[in-house]
Amino acid sequence: MSAASEFAVLLKNRGKAKDKATDTKPALGFLAPWLIGAVCLTFVPMVISLYLSLTKYNMLTSPKFVGLQNYATLLQDTRYLQSLKVTFSYVIISVPLQLIAALALAVVLDRGMRGLTFYRSAFYLPSMLGGSVAIAVLWKMVFGSDGLFNQALGLFGLDVTQSWIANTATANGTLMVLHIWQFGSPMVIFLAGLRQIPRELYEAASVDGAGKWRQFLSITLPMLSPIIFFNLVMSIINSFQTFTQAFVVSGGTGGPNDATLFYTLYLYMQGFGSMKMGYAAAMAWILVIIVAVLTVINFALSKYWVHYDD
Amino acid sequence: MKSMKKWITAAAAVAAASMALAGCAGGTSVTGGAEVKASDEDVTIRISWWGSDTRVQITEDAIKAFEKEHSNINVETTYNDWSGYWDKLATENAGKNAPDVMQMDELYLASYASQGSLLDLDKTSEYLKLDGMDESLKDMGKVDGTQYAAPISSTAFGVVINNDVVEKLGLTVPDTSAWTWDDLIAFAKQVVQASNGETVGIAPLNNGMTLQLWARQQGENLFTDGKVSISEDALASYLQMAYDWTHGDDPIAGTPDHQAEQASGTLDQSDFATNKQAMIFTQSTQISTYAKAAGTDNMTLVPMPNDDPSNKYGYLKPGMYWAVSSQSKHPAEAAMLVDYLLNNEEVGKTLGTDRGIPSNNSIREILAETSTGTDKQALDFPAQIEDTLGDAPSITPNGASDLDKIIARYNQKVMFGEQSAADAAKAMISELNTAIASA
Repeated sequence: MSAASEFAVLLKNRGKAKDKATDTKPALGFLAPWLIGAVCLTFVPMVISLYLSLTKYNMLTSPKFVGLQNYATLLQDTRYLQSLKVTFSYVIISVPLQLIAALALAVVLDRGMRGLTFYRSAFYLPSMLGGSVAIAVLWKMVFGSDGLFNQALGLFGLDVTQSWIANTATANGTLMVLHIWQFGSPMVIFLAGLRQIPRELYEAASVDGAGKWRQFLSITLPMLSPIIFFNLVMSIINSFQTFTQAFVVSGGTGGPNDATLFYTLYLYMQGFGSMKMGYAAAMAWILVIIVAVLTVINFALSKYWVHYDD
Repeated sequence: MKSMKKWITAAAAVAAASMALAGCAGGTSVTGGAEVKASDEDVTIRISWWGSDTRVQITEDAIKAFEKEHSNINVETTYNDWSGYWDKLATENAGKNAPDVMQMDELYLASYASQGSLLDLDKTSEYLKLDGMDESLKDMGKVDGTQYAAPISSTAFGVVINNDVVEKLGLTVPDTSAWTWDDLIAFAKQVVQASNGETVGIAPLNNGMTLQLWARQQGENLFTDGKVSISEDALASYLQMAYDWTHGDDPIAGTPDHQAEQASGTLDQSDFATNKQAMIFTQSTQISTYAKAAGTDNMTLVPMPNDDPSNKYGYLKPGMYWAVSSQSKHPAEAAMLVDYLLNNEEVGKTLGTDRGIPSNNSIREILAETSTGTDKQALDFPAQIEDTLGDAPSITPNGASDLDKIIARYNQKVMFGEQSAADAAKAMISELNTAIASA
């Protein structure tokens, strides 16, 4: 992102002054690794996928142009609608819960307790591991019928033998828990944000007789709102792209009974399983639009609750 | 405004560049009608397959022997697990760099052949002999009358019984030589009752080959002339099994949740491989895989239950195929490699029954003489069920490669009571027909 904005600045300044112009070329040279990557690996494939979304393409023969047919078919595809339902409920539930968990932990850790660095690393660890295949496999075992979770319930005298992963009502829930468990990375960002809040504000507030909760609501939250906003936007974008966990936990089927049929998983199944690359490309573009619209809405709403100092 | 203009220019440039790139990717090397002739110069060909570590090991051994005999041919190998294999193969085909020789499955054969991705093996007949196998098996490598693939092996479907589990419960296996579905269910129920529900009797059928067999037991076929031909009633009775076996008192397959969990697990973790299930429907050659996983050789391979003894419902399904890519620059060498893997007796011994019962009859006989235990049961099985074998069915049509996944999905819908078997049958037939029509 920053490389992109620097590039824009470079373009803007080009030719403004002679000495600046001579700077442009070496700068472009330094930017080349990013530029080439962005063009070849992002922009070009995106344009091609936009074209493919208007075709019927099974990868074995050349794409055949079909206009908007793929998009029209999507609206009648009940499994596609199911994948939207699964993904939206996942995002709506797990994103806020994850951010609340991250913020709560950050506030507690910010009090400057002993061994802070240890706790910070320990809580951050799941974020580094959470997206991996290994953790997804572990999750499958933890929430299986003979899993750790049921054994833990057994310690409290609850004899549960159902599999949480294989039950249509709880399968998506276990994946939400997995997402929430990865609260470490927003937490670290919150921690950094908390450090930026001037201590005088709290001192002044306590002199005025404000309690901890009052201080949190009137100082911490408003001062932290740009960070919360950043985390919210990133988290929503990432959650829409959830794939690995659902793929591993359901064995690549989106099961049981399509309960974990995440958007990107269904996209993958259509593209590579059924060899409908055109259809999959159309799905990908709708996902881009969904995420873009949500991000725009987020930005529009942000002016009502995000406070910037300057 | 000015920056807007620049972005438009940039976008146009990107579009132009992408056209250029797309143009570059178009270079192909289709052998088409050209004559297939072996080269004297050094050539490199690539072979790709899916399968376990054991398969990788023995296949590489076989290929090393091939390279020794043909010093000018260098063979590169690539392998993958089942689902990764098909992802990669499709992508490689799209990128025009498909492997010269590829392992093919019945589910995908028609898709690849009808899209022109495979070479007509009659063109390579000088180098690749297919006369070592039964005609009916060889014919299952044909799509629309053209021999696009060479069956590596055949496999039959049966029931494997884990005798350790049965004996531990103090039960005896009934006479299975002519058993009916009721016999099987009754025995499975005994297992569940004797174990207080700790041991599963048997899991319901849920894949393409078993649906085919089920249809044939009702005197129908799953596909005819590239279309779905199973009746709604026959399909509904098949799907109903998933519900009946997981509901009521002492369900013989356990709860729906349990079956769903099993479906997403690996073979090694499955109930049958961990001695928690008495019987399993499976391909005959899988008996040794399960025996190894469960750590017991005390297993028996028996025929499928069948209510009408006069019905010739059985068939030998090509376990896998070798196919040569139509993009191959060295089709003659590719054909030589396939011939070597299929027909060389020494290599036949190396490869054993890992890919199923070898299609080459003389290799099968050699293996039958030397093998023991579960391997021998698998090799002898076709003779055991000979009376039930009928004509080979049509292969899975183009567009229906997802058959197994579709069956599994509707099975779950019925099992979880979300849809009645009749409704699910109707929906599934229409989904399959749409998939075939739109392919």
